[in-house]
Order: sequence, then C-alpha cells, then structure tokens
Amino acid sequence: MQATLDQPRETTDLKAPAVQIVDLCKSIDERPILRGVDLSINPGESVAILGANGAGKSTLLKILATLTSATAGEARLFGVSLRNAPASLRAKIGLISHQSLLYRDLTARENLQFFAKLYGIPDPATRAINLLSLVGLGDRADDAVKTFSRGMTQRVAIARALVHRPQLLLADEPFAGLDVASVAAVEELFDQLHAAGRTVLVVDHDIERSLRICQRIIVLRGGRVALDKAAGDTSAAEIEAEMSGT
Amino acid sequence: MTTSLRQILTLMAKDLRVEARTRQTLGLVTVLGILIVVVLGLGLGAEAAATRGFGATAVLWVAYLFSGVLCFEKTMAVERADGAMAALMVAPIDRGNIYLAKLLSNLILMAGIAVITPCGVLFFAFDLSIAPGTFVAVMSLAVIGFAAVGTLFAAVVSSTRLQGGLLAMMIFPVTLPLVIASMQLLLHRFRDGQSIGGTGLGVLMAFDAMFLTLSWAVFEWVLEP
Repeated sequence: MQATLDQPRETTDLKAPAVQIVDLCKSIDERPILRGVDLSINPGESVAILGANGAGKSTLLKILATLTSATAGEARLFGVSLRNAPASLRAKIGLISHQSLLYRDLTARENLQFFAKLYGIPDPATRAINLLSLVGLGDRADDAVKTFSRGMTQRVAIARALVHRPQLLLADEPFAGLDVASVAAVEELFDQLHAAGRTVLVVDHDIERSLRICQRIIVLRGGRVALDKAAGDTSAAEIEAEMSGT
Repeated sequence: MTTSLRQILTLMAKDLRVEARTRQTLGLVTVLGILIVVVLGLGLGAEAAATRGFGATAVLWVAYLFSGVLCFEKTMAVERADGAMAALMVAPIDRGNIYLAKLLSNLILMAGIAVITPCGVLFFAFDLSIAPGTFVAVMSLAVIGFAAVGTLFAAVVSSTRLQGGLLAMMIFPVTLPLVIASMQLLLHRFRDGQSIGGTGLGVLMAFDAMFLTLSWAVFEWVLEP
C-alpha cells in the first residue's frame, strides 16, 4: 500500500513553504470574504481549516487550487506565486471536494485513466488500477461511478486527486455526506497520505476529527485567522470558542 | 505528438466516450431537429411556394440552431454534473485546450445532426442536387462559427448556474450575421442560380476565424469551477 502512495513526482524546494499566504483578501460582489489572511505551511504538514459557514474556508482553498484569484495579497505554493498559476505549479496540486469531480457515466478505471493521461502519467492503466486497489475498489474498477455509494465515490475521488502524486493535497469537506464506515476509510487514507509526507489541507466542520487526523489547526472567523495552533496545543473547547467568537 | 494535441484528443475522446455510454445528446438533438423540420413543414405547408426549394434551407437552419444549442448545453452539463470542470481547471492543461476539445466534440455531434438534412430535402422538395458541394461547404463553415460561439457561451451559462433559454438568447444575436451571410449565399446559389464564388466562402471563413480566435482567447476568463 505504501508502495503506491509513493513520493511526489517532482522534488520540491525544501526551503520554500508548501503554502505561504500574505495579507490575502478576496471579495465577491464587493462583499469581503477573506480580509487579510496570513499563513505559512511547511511541506509535509497536515492542517485542518475550521470555521463557521461563511468564514472563508472554501474560498481560501479555491484560491490555493487556482480555481479563483485573490482580490489582494499574495499566495505562493512551493515558492511560486499563484498569480499566473503556471501549469507546472498546478501539477503539484491535488484537489478533493465534497463533489466527486468525476464523470459519473464513466467507470472508475476510465475516470482515473482519463486524468492520468491529462497529467501525462506513464502507463495510465497500471496507475489507475494501483490507485483503485489502494482505495479498496480494485474489484469495482469497471463499474460506472454512478452505481457507487457516496463513500465509494469519494474513495475514487481521492484516487483521482492522487493520480499525479501531488505534493499538496487540498480537501474541501471530504467527509461530507459519508457514513461512519466511509469516514473511517477516508480517515485512514488521510493518515497514509500524512505518513507518506504529503502536505495536506483539509477544510472540515468536525472539530474532534480534525484534532485526530491533523497536526495543526487553523480557525477562520470573518475572513481572518482567529486561531493557529498545533493540534496538541489546543482543545475542542478552545476551537469552538474561536469559531463562534465567544 | 505535442502535449496540447494529446490533451485535446484525450478530452475529446472522453466526451465521445460519455456520449457513446449515455447516447443522450445525439439522440435528443436529432429528435428535436426532426421535430422542428416536421412541425415547420406542417405549419408552413410543404407545397407552399415560399418554402419549396431554397426556403427549406431556412427551416434547416432553424433546426440546426436549436439542436445545436441543446447540444452545447448537454455537452457542458457533463462537466458540471459532479464538478468535473474544477478537476480540469486544476489540471496542468491550457484552458484553451479545454475549449478546443469541447468545440471539436460539439462539431462531431453536430455532424450527426446532419441526418435531419435529408428530412428537409424530402419534406420541402428541396433540390439539393443543384449544388450539393456548395450546400455542404456553406453549412459546414457556418456551423463551425456557430459552434465556436455556442461552446463559449455554454461555458458562460453553466458557470453562472443559469440554464434554460438563456443560452439561445446569448448565441443567436451574436451569430446572426453568420446565419444571414450563409443564408444569402444559399439564396444566391439555389434561388438565383448564381455561383457564390470564393468571396462568399471567404466571408464565412472570416467569421469563423474571428469567432474562434475570440472565443478561444476569452474562454479562460469565463470559466468558473
């Protein structure tokens, strides 16, 4: 299993933070969503981003995923500015969302092969089946994604996000809508990713789970960083208080 | 094979694979096209002088336009159903390549819509044998320009979560000059018996070049996950 979750394809500049954000602002329709976020995340860290609805968590992740641009401020991944989001930088990012980002009419194997080809992965067929085995769906490789349960679909979605061995994994509410067994399976995958040295940013609502699976907790409130501590140095009560601003 | 070409072919193959699996788009648009021809044929009267012959090209255009709009909507909806567009946008591919692949997929599907042409020919007693090559050349060039704009606007409409008739309302005014130009060329050939010459096709090619270049250039800016 560890053999499949191998090292990222490209080596990183170890001196540069995986994520560096300086005074990042984002407004949508003149409504401020992010109001000057400053962050630095080292390679290999697993970080949970928590906050109430509208705190700016998903917007921050979208900016880091190059899906939208900041209104002001600077964001860098591995020392490279997101301003122009070059293809070589996007190749280092893996994205997981509460949506599957898959084609439901294609099989799991076809989905993974398609994305492997887009990323120029050698031998896409082998890569696809290896990843499906990793997420425990090797025997369902040729079934259409639309026939999968939510938990199975999310596992394929994680396999898709890992197809190009990204250095940075961005996960926006990856546990949303999953049952207990699927949550456990996905948690295990995140543990493996962390053990394999990936930098992981997870947006989540579950404080206990975040404390369990991540090294570091960041709380956003009103578009600003309200708390930034190691998971071992904070508590559910403190996080909850920071989230609600009490 | 260059990286861009490989990516375009990969994206296009995916679109066609999805279509082969679901058979939704081609089936729907073909049925819609045939229905339009039949309904207009019944409404206008197949024997009416106004619709006999060259007038059939106008009816066929109406069928191509509405079928095309449905085709553009359906092929873009595939990217939106489970947010796959976000995965494409994060991938290290030029977003212009996403546009070109989607355009080519739409053109292939619209070539399938061409099966409604014989319906028009039969229903309106349109003597296509006068100049079949001219008809194919004019319609092909016009459809390329139409699809170029349609592919772009389908991305805009799907990004803004607006559906329904909005796409048609956006595409038709922009492509109207192209439709008028192509209709004029067909009238010259099929009604007046005149040769359209290279200039006529050149006008359509100019429209195509303009629509393709502009749409390709702005596609990146209209995409939203």
